[in-house]
Amino acid sequence: MTRMFATLLGALALSAFTACWPVGVAGDVVVDEGYPPAAYIATSTPVYYGGYPNYWYGGRWYSRYGGGWHAYREEPGYLHDYRYRAAPARQYYGRGSVGVVYGRRHR
Amino acid sequence: MRTLKATGIALLTGVGLSLNAAHADPPMDDDDAPSAELREHHRHHQHGGITQFIEMSLDTLGEDEAKRPQVEKIQGELHACMEPMEESEKAVLLTIADGVAAGAVDGAKVNAGIAQLTAAGGGIHDCVWKSLNELHAVLSPVERASLVDKVEAHWAVWKHVNHEAAPGGREKGGRLAELARELGLTPAQLDKMAPALKTALVSLEGKFDPEPVRASVGAFGKAFISDAFDAQPVTSNTTSALTTHGTQRMALFYETLTPLLTPEQRVTLASHLRQHASHHPAVSAP
Repeated sequence: MTRMFATLLGALALSAFTACWPVGVAGDVVVDEGYPPAAYIATSTPVYYGGYPNYWYGGRWYSRYGGGWHAYREEPGYLHDYRYRAAPARQYYGRGSVGVVYGRRHR
Repeated sequence: MRTLKATGIALLTGVGLSLNAAHADPPMDDDDAPSAELREHHRHHQHGGITQFIEMSLDTLGEDEAKRPQVEKIQGELHACMEPMEESEKAVLLTIADGVAAGAVDGAKVNAGIAQLTAAGGGIHDCVWKSLNELHAVLSPVERASLVDKVEAHWAVWKHVNHEAAPGGREKGGRLAELARELGLTPAQLDKMAPALKTALVSLEGKFDPEPVRASVGAFGKAFISDAFDAQPVTSNTTSALTTHGTQRMALFYETLTPLLTPEQRVTLASHLRQHASHHPAVSAP
């Protein structure tokens, strides 16, 4: 009875976990919502880490590969240190003679 | 048994909390200033099609610092290739601005300007392909993939604001809502403008097919992330389709709304359009 309960419980927990968090590469999970929208990708400078461009959005780091978006379960130290050193840059495309500046000057 | 039950509950609770943490992000809000400005940019600047998306993507690529001089040189070359289109675009924007200031936009003059803009795009492919090949050689595989993400993102934003957004739609972040914020439009004005736009923009329905552009963006992305890349057969002939449609939609928008604005609002809008016309001062490739 005890063993059966434990097995059942383990299977239930595992299936719930894997169904909602398909694992991509070590330390990250596939997400199907909350990831950065197109306008954010187009105006933000990524940070290259783990072989992918990573975007800081909504309080998490996201990267896209293998046809899906991924987020980290725990913020990698490199990325944590990076954003404390310098906020990830955004690009402004305001009207006027100069688009802007805060990544690179847009001409 | 009791311990097992407790462990099980803790485990399930843990999973539940973790799942909650994974999915409890703030709402996907792309209405911040840079995103809003990008939408406005893509509504007003149609001078290079996919080349423009690539050139803009270099603004935020975040490539290795050592490559920056090379990438900026290539960006300058791409920009120089688009200059003839920018000049034509500037003329169209100034024509619209003059019409807005005067109370009526000269549709025939605008259309002639759009025809010139479209024609100016004809030579862009021959101008850019060598620079694109050089860009591919300069970037690492991960930087290439990042560039492709950005080009696709620009295309998605362009498509939304110039094709998918409902004519006369009053949704937050939409063209009419942004103009209302910009000019302080009254609810009564908006009530007249929304149906007027819906009627006016019917003439553009079915004239733009996004599929060839989607295919071109996809083909470019697929080729650019591969080790061997040759832009000559890949870059597309979709520039004129993007340019023509985007500019026609913009022109019709302002032609339709101008008679419904107050004189003060027209002065403000004309000034904003002239600012758009002066965006992207001409630069020469280094």
